[in-house]
Amino acid sequence: MAFLTLTNIRKTFGAAIAVDQFNLQVERGEFLSFLGPSGCGKTTTMRMIAGFETPTAGTISLDGKDITSLSPTKRNVGMVFQSYALFPHLSARDNIGFGLKIAGQSKDAIAERVSEMLDLIKMQPQADRYPHQLSGGQQQRVALARALAVKPQVLLLDEPLSALDAKIRESLRNEIRDIQRALNITTVYVTHDQEEALSVSDRVVVMSAGRIEQIGTPIEIYSQPQTPFVADFVGSMNFIPATVADNKGNVRCGAHMFNVGANASAFAPNTAVRLALRPEELRVFSREPQQPDALPVTVSSAEFMGTTYRLHLAAGELGTLLAEVPANYARTLNTKIGAPLQVQLPHDMLRVFV
Amino acid sequence: MKRMSITSWLWIVIGALYFLLPLIATADFSLRAEKDKLGFLAYQRVFADPKFISTFTFSLYISLITIVASIILVVPTAYWVRLRVPAFRRVFEFITLLPLIIPAVVLVFGLSRIYGKYPFQFMIETPALFVVGNVVFSLPYMYRSVDVGLRAIDVHTLTEAAQSLGASLPYTLFRVIFPNITVALLSGAFLTFAIVMGEFTMASLLVQPAFGPYMQLISSSKVYEPSAVAIISFLLTWMCTGAIQLLGRRAPGQTQIAGSR
Repeated sequence: MAFLTLTNIRKTFGAAIAVDQFNLQVERGEFLSFLGPSGCGKTTTMRMIAGFETPTAGTISLDGKDITSLSPTKRNVGMVFQSYALFPHLSARDNIGFGLKIAGQSKDAIAERVSEMLDLIKMQPQADRYPHQLSGGQQQRVALARALAVKPQVLLLDEPLSALDAKIRESLRNEIRDIQRALNITTVYVTHDQEEALSVSDRVVVMSAGRIEQIGTPIEIYSQPQTPFVADFVGSMNFIPATVADNKGNVRCGAHMFNVGANASAFAPNTAVRLALRPEELRVFSREPQQPDALPVTVSSAEFMGTTYRLHLAAGELGTLLAEVPANYARTLNTKIGAPLQVQLPHDMLRVFV
Repeated sequence: MKRMSITSWLWIVIGALYFLLPLIATADFSLRAEKDKLGFLAYQRVFADPKFISTFTFSLYISLITIVASIILVVPTAYWVRLRVPAFRRVFEFITLLPLIIPAVVLVFGLSRIYGKYPFQFMIETPALFVVGNVVFSLPYMYRSVDVGLRAIDVHTLTEAAQSLGASLPYTLFRVIFPNITVALLSGAFLTFAIVMGEFTMASLLVQPAFGPYMQLISSSKVYEPSAVAIISFLLTWMCTGAIQLLGRRAPGQTQIAGSR
């Protein structure tokens, strides 16, 4: 049985539906992320797990116990907020010990646990500083330690890195993941940053308009998107309009015919579809020598991204294709605007959406 | 830094003179109780007057009770409004402003009509009604101060953070919210203190032995002493303002409520 279960959750605010038909099972020790654009219901769902919102319908159970109507003070769920939410009048040490004091632990037990937590976040030297004397990253580490000090059954992180700059965000997200692994604590992480979600999670829940679009491992979410929304929202994707030609997996795109095999088997002939292909899945070549099944294209623009080049390629009736090629390889190509190139669209990687 | 123009300085000087000249004149007059000699005779007489001591002590005592009662009434209310019914914040603001609109005479008349009858007549027989009236009079200042203090902290998130750690709402209010609005509370408390110490209308109508009626009494019967009392009142107010500034600077991580950092 799953450790944390959300069954048929629905949440409305007046006439607006924030979350609907939400079913999820989280295993003990799992790191799960809610990923989606602003207003998709990910924070509302997390707030329902924390007890700050009550579901309009459905149940939430934790370790086999129904907690749907339980007060947030009694859930034993730790939460880390985007704005840190440290108590300004307390030092880092006292912030971490706050929950332990409420739990009625002895002074010695509190001191011992707080010291343990300060070691975990590597902030022993800053223990007596007040929140306003700490950097954003340090404040969020204290907030994490405070949430973990009370040994919660589930840790909830609500966009904890959004207020930090890129460099700190990357190091802190790795730190959070290391701590989560070390403590084996069940964690639910809310973010709108796909890189963050894909890099730290065991599984990702992609949400849109209050509903789950897809649940899967980061690799599944990226390489096998189940809906056009997931395909479009996670990473970059080329969408090419096409028509199903027959029952044998052939799709027509203008004068070009692609055989996408079983990917098109769900669609009847003459159905208008969209072929989807990641930019890095396009194979880009110089115009000479001619490659089999390659389409002639011209460079519309080229962006240097550091390790890769992003090429915008005009492909006639296929529209503009986005290709991403390793920088070292791109140097062997002519990437000047208007330069002629050719591309292959690997048929087995073409996904088909309506 | 941009340098101030001569016109700016001129206006500052005019403003300063407007406020300081009457004060300097009053201070000068209060020191001339002895003929052809400057001295503190008027102050000595004031401090030697048992009525000064008794009325001052009474008002001090009433002001402290008023401050405590105001805090108990206003802080949980303002906290609740911000947390649970933010849509009604404007309504509450309007209600707290009513004491500035309703004349003191009308207010006292209303209070004495309601609390002068059974089972509340003890209110009018004791200083209790005077305290209630002062709480009402100081409401705009205390509510505003507390509201500004609450606005400076993220009440919602701090409350949720405390709740997620197992804290009840009363615990959160006393252990998280109160300590983070101490400067705002002190600001409201000192304003309340200044109002109660100088309150005249209600004290007279309710026949209370307060400092306000005493000042009025000596100003109609003495020459130099009223000026001395006025200066003492000013010093008291300045001490309060100074205390707000000082405490505001010392409070860790808190937003300054009065004055600048």
